[in-house]
Amino acid sequence: MTMELQLGLALPNNITEGFDLNSRGSEPLSHVGSCLASESGIREYNSKKRSFDEAFVPQTLALLVWNKQPNEEDEGHSELDKNSSTISKSDGDDDGIVGWPPIKTPRRKLCHQNCGGFSGGNFDDGGPRPRGSKSTYVKVKMEGVAIARKVDVNLHHSYQSLRDTLDDMFGRGLKNVKAYKLTYQDGEGDWLLAGDVPWR
Amino acid sequence: MNYFPEEVLEHVFDFLKSHRDRNAVSLVCKSWYRVERFSRERVFIGNCYAINPDRLIERFPRLRSLTLKGKPHFADFNLVPHDWGGFVYPWIDAMAKRGVNLEELRLKRMVVSDEGLELLSRSFVNFKSLILVSCEGFTTDGLAAIASNCRFLRELDLQENEVEDHRGQWLSCFPDSCTSLVSLNFACLKGEVNLAALERLMARSCNLRSLKLNHAVPLDTLQKILAQAPQLVDLGTGSFVSDPDSETFRRLRTAIQKCASIKSLSGFLEVAPCCLPAIYPICLNLTTLNLSYAQGIHGSELIKLIRHCGKLQRLWILDCIGDKGLGVVASTCKELQELRVFPSDLHGDGHAAVTEEGLVAISAGCPKLHSLLYFCQQMTNAALITVAKNCPNFTRFRLCIINPTIPDPVTMQPLDEGFGAIVQSCKGLRRLSLSGLLTDQVFLYIGMYAEQLEMLSVAFAGDSDKGMLCVLNGCKKLKKLEIMDSPFGNLALLTDVGKYETMRSLWMSSCEVTLGGCKTLAKKMPRLNVEIINEGDQMEATPDDDRQKVEKMYLYRSLVGARRDAPDFVWTL
Repeated sequence: MTMELQLGLALPNNITEGFDLNSRGSEPLSHVGSCLASESGIREYNSKKRSFDEAFVPQTLALLVWNKQPNEEDEGHSELDKNSSTISKSDGDDDGIVGWPPIKTPRRKLCHQNCGGFSGGNFDDGGPRPRGSKSTYVKVKMEGVAIARKVDVNLHHSYQSLRDTLDDMFGRGLKNVKAYKLTYQDGEGDWLLAGDVPWR
Repeated sequence: MNYFPEEVLEHVFDFLKSHRDRNAVSLVCKSWYRVERFSRERVFIGNCYAINPDRLIERFPRLRSLTLKGKPHFADFNLVPHDWGGFVYPWIDAMAKRGVNLEELRLKRMVVSDEGLELLSRSFVNFKSLILVSCEGFTTDGLAAIASNCRFLRELDLQENEVEDHRGQWLSCFPDSCTSLVSLNFACLKGEVNLAALERLMARSCNLRSLKLNHAVPLDTLQKILAQAPQLVDLGTGSFVSDPDSETFRRLRTAIQKCASIKSLSGFLEVAPCCLPAIYPICLNLTTLNLSYAQGIHGSELIKLIRHCGKLQRLWILDCIGDKGLGVVASTCKELQELRVFPSDLHGDGHAAVTEEGLVAISAGCPKLHSLLYFCQQMTNAALITVAKNCPNFTRFRLCIINPTIPDPVTMQPLDEGFGAIVQSCKGLRRLSLSGLLTDQVFLYIGMYAEQLEMLSVAFAGDSDKGMLCVLNGCKKLKKLEIMDSPFGNLALLTDVGKYETMRSLWMSSCEVTLGGCKTLAKKMPRLNVEIINEGDQMEATPDDDRQKVEKMYLYRSLVGARRDAPDFVWTL
């Protein structure tokens, strides 16, 4: 049973409700669509190198919609990766050129987990959990950023700790990540500023 | 002519540990060859298809330790289909049948089956050590066989393998009488382990020096194990999550403080950052730290941790440490010899985690650095030139700029000059991986200066055949060349065919070589196996159209001709 919580990061004068998964997220797919058409056609012997266009393969997008146990998506990934013996171009690779970047499969899976945003792990194995409560994953979107992250709030004991983690996750390269405010949407759909209510 | 009794020769050869030295002495004369082959116990085979099991055992009857490598390196990056080959079963079978007293088996990129593991466990009474790296094809049932039957097992080391986890009781299969374990690494296993069985096994393994747990082992169990094993030298944690106020955590801190021998730390497959301070006391002694799977530790915490690690020699880390963090590494870890920075997020929204700045800082602060693997978003020629000047001792230099055809962002020039500086300065360079926008010029430099180069990895680089020819011509010690997506074709492939017999292997994928070119090569060089990986049946329809480009070609020297276990989609020409 997971709580459905959504957090949002936004600049102070701009607390809006609908964070759009802007078109950056969907662009690669349509781009790939047209490339696939040319791929299945006649190979171009004239071009010197396989350009990025030709080399791209369909992504198996890990969708950000989640309301299941965290590791379900995980298994989806590994099933796809460990697939059939006859390789088609989409086998084993999920974000672009086959064989690039040169990262081993176990690490690649980890990168995708990170993209999905697991900052902790799954807690379904009966191991001890902090404070004995079930894991709680929340989706965090930042204004202006296409890709959301997931964070397990149970790994944190205070707003500050959560905030530090989010700053690290979203703040790379940003000059003033601290200016962003953290908001959340409660069960009734109201957006509240994080920090008003005690952590527990 | 001086006469040495063979016993004396044998005694002298005992001091030769490296297989290269042993290979060299065996070439001196027939009698040295004979003495050497009867005394060699450890054999290294870099390509399992270069020789066959029978000939191996024939030459080295006293074989006790065998190292085998299977698939080509690019198999790590999904460029080689799963059932390409590299099966270890025939080797185990042959050694079992011919009564080899096998004690150690080390495999890399090979296909291992449960049947093979079962046979292994039953056939060699003195078997002590199994090390599997990047292998696949087996399940935890095979591990159960090893645990059950290898009475004197000292080492079971599983590194980054694809293991089907049946969530069984393989750990419980170690009999109560088994107390010989020195090293156990099951970090790559995905499933549950019987924690009670693990604790009991650890309690009776008083010789245990190295332990690496998987994610399913919670901190509570770790604490219990450490309390009984303060002599550990090498530790890989599983899950490192706890309430810092809990009794369990307090006990862990106490146990860790008693582990004065831990020099190598890894794991943190799951981690709650607030628990990290527990390991600060052992950081002072660490020489090896591998946090490359610790996604849960973010930049600032990483930096805090690194500040405690003044004796570090080897560091594997994620790029979330950032340039600033690398600066801290540079000022803290003065003994650093090897650094690997892995990407933490491939779908990044463009924010560069580490850039050339971090690398320059490291090169300035760590004069002993000789081995580097660095994933970054950008690199400049100026930075590489500085790095080359600061660190002339590189033996391994692997740079991976995530966007592979990106130029120097400051000058918009290719990175030829930067890599050129590296090869010119680092006279001992043995391994090099290139990336970024590169022309034929970089290969000119490599051919000219990289005299000790043994392995070169190329992707999306070069303009013409000239590039590849420079390398083949200039790098006299080249053993392995692997090229993807570069415009090298038949001219480059066929100009110096004799070269390939001096090398272990050549891989070319998505280049310009044609079927005709490969056929010509195969015909000219009967002692080479020229294999074409033919996916998608592109060539099935027109096998005689020699003008077709070959998608993937892998050739290697072999003493035993074409292999007989090649699947349908692999053609040996």
